[in-house]
Amino acid sequence: MTQKKALLLVGSPRGIEQSTSGRLGGRLLDALKGRGFETDKLHVHAAVRSPDALASALAAVAAADLVILSLPLYVDSFPAPVIVFLEKVAERRTGGMADAAHGRAGRAGLFLLIQCGFPESEQNATALAIAERFAAEVGWRWLGGLALGGVETYGGSAHEVLDLIGKALAEGRSAPDLAVKKAIPAWLYRVGGNIMWRRMAKKNGVAGKLRARPYEGESTG
Amino acid sequence: MNALVLDGFRGEEGQGVLAVLTNALAQSGYGTEVVALREKTIAPCLGCFGCWIKTPGECVIDDDGRAVARAAVRSDLLVYVTPVTFGGFSSELKKAVDRFIPNISPFFARVQGETHHQRRYRRCPSLIGLGTLPQPNREAEAIFKTLVEHNALNWRSPRTAAAVVALDGTSDVAAIARGLIEAVAR
Repeated sequence: MTQKKALLLVGSPRGIEQSTSGRLGGRLLDALKGRGFETDKLHVHAAVRSPDALASALAAVAAADLVILSLPLYVDSFPAPVIVFLEKVAERRTGGMADAAHGRAGRAGLFLLIQCGFPESEQNATALAIAERFAAEVGWRWLGGLALGGVETYGGSAHEVLDLIGKALAEGRSAPDLAVKKAIPAWLYRVGGNIMWRRMAKKNGVAGKLRARPYEGESTG
Repeated sequence: MNALVLDGFRGEEGQGVLAVLTNALAQSGYGTEVVALREKTIAPCLGCFGCWIKTPGECVIDDDGRAVARAAVRSDLLVYVTPVTFGGFSSELKKAVDRFIPNISPFFARVQGETHHQRRYRRCPSLIGLGTLPQPNREAEAIFKTLVEHNALNWRSPRTAAAVVALDGTSDVAAIARGLIEAVAR
């Protein structure tokens, strides 16, 4: 029996090894690997940089039974290079190359793993809706997503949830609707975050300039 | 008053809608600058936070993204015009939007019950989103409007409005454009 293929698309500019998206996506791939899946990883930003890399990434997508898109929320949606890539997948489908948008099993499944820099995981909702809409437009099966807030990406809870999701996906089911336990309340996240920005700026020698307004000018109105 | 219109189309297909929109803006007294993003070199955001903690207020990448972010700060009205792409923005528009992060402060604040960033500038432009679809699609339209509304929260836009027009001839683009401009009028 041919092994099923799961492809992780990492949509963080920091790459596969250095990013939270790569780390969490890798954990999900591990859960699938243990359940008979052949797995592979691709960095989306690298894939859209050259025609050759793009062609090879589109071929990998075409061969996948399950596509896991793992990325950080950028301004309520996906980072721009991820949209470039999804546009290319959709174009190949409408251009008559249906194989590129459909997995070899007929219809690839799509799962979205998304995390945002705010403590509220609910802020990922629009991006989840966009992923589901993409799946509908290219004829993929929407398998759901896991939305994480800023403090939920660390610790055992996220890993436990990813293992449960991996089990469901391996069994051909949609992902269960799970949430990760919040480690700290939102107000504490904001206070801690603001302290962190000051420390980082101080380290860079710009502590007094954090509120700079380099583009301020008179309105023509 | 001045409006910065970001043209997020990949080619010339949005020219008809853009002409109607810029005409409506002129009739409402706006001086308008249209930026065809496809002609601009705007590298993807690196996610490095350099624009907050190394060169506060300016992206570390020296390309057209800086000029577009600067023009956005100096506008009274920011207008996104884009083909609705899976309910969201086209990649052409999004490459510029991702580079607007320097225009807000890294510091967190509670806004309408959610965490967002504080303003960097004393005044922020209002935000209009005008999307196009080949035919009407209620689901894509709903996602688009929510996306623009959330962007306005993140940019701390005082007013916002969004609409989607169908390019199959069923939409009264001029009336919709006027409605959007009226909705953000002070």
